[in-house]
Amino acid sequence: MSESELGRKWDRCLADAVVKIGTGFGLGIVFSLTFFKRRMWPLAFGSGMGLGMAYSNCQHDFQAPYLLHGKYVKEQEQ
Amino acid sequence: MVARVWSLMRFLIKGSVAGGAVYLVYDQELLGSSDKSQAALKKAGEVVPPAMYQFSHYVCQQTGLQIPQLPAPPKIHFPIRDSWNAGIITVMSALSVAPSKACEYSKEGWEYVKARTK
Repeated sequence: MSESELGRKWDRCLADAVVKIGTGFGLGIVFSLTFFKRRMWPLAFGSGMGLGMAYSNCQHDFQAPYLLHGKYVKEQEQ
Repeated sequence: MVARVWSLMRFLIKGSVAGGAVYLVYDQELLGSSDKSQAALKKAGEVVPPAMYQFSHYVCQQTGLQIPQLPAPPKIHFPIRDSWNAGIITVMSALSVAPSKACEYSKEGWEYVKARTK
């Protein structure tokens, strides 16, 4: 993996982490205010879920650098 | 009867707000792959500053307040990656030539001492 590709992967991971943690936090705020009487645990739960999803995405991205995405093509009957 | 209807209304309003938030997250694919998240962050970076500017301009117009113009922050261009890489290369080069340089300097020192003691 070249250095520029590695840098791009890290940038993608950080952006993904920011978005997912923010989304989890936001959903936690919504559910805390609507259903859970302004408790703190939905915020922590949502942020933690976002962080875990971002970590999983990053891990998959770094551990499968040569993954090719293919598709099935039906054989044409002669 | 009225209290029951009111509590049902409250539940429906809360449910619709929470459901709307979940649908928005699903529609924008914020919890999907990292490519979509990066695109969403980039789009937010392009949309939010003009929206904030428009909102502050509208508030100033409505209230008559004048927000003072702050000077632009200084742009610091310090390429951390380049200086880190250059530092690593310098350190490794110094370590690789250290044995030969040590031999050379000790030889020169020995020659100097020999010349002084003659």
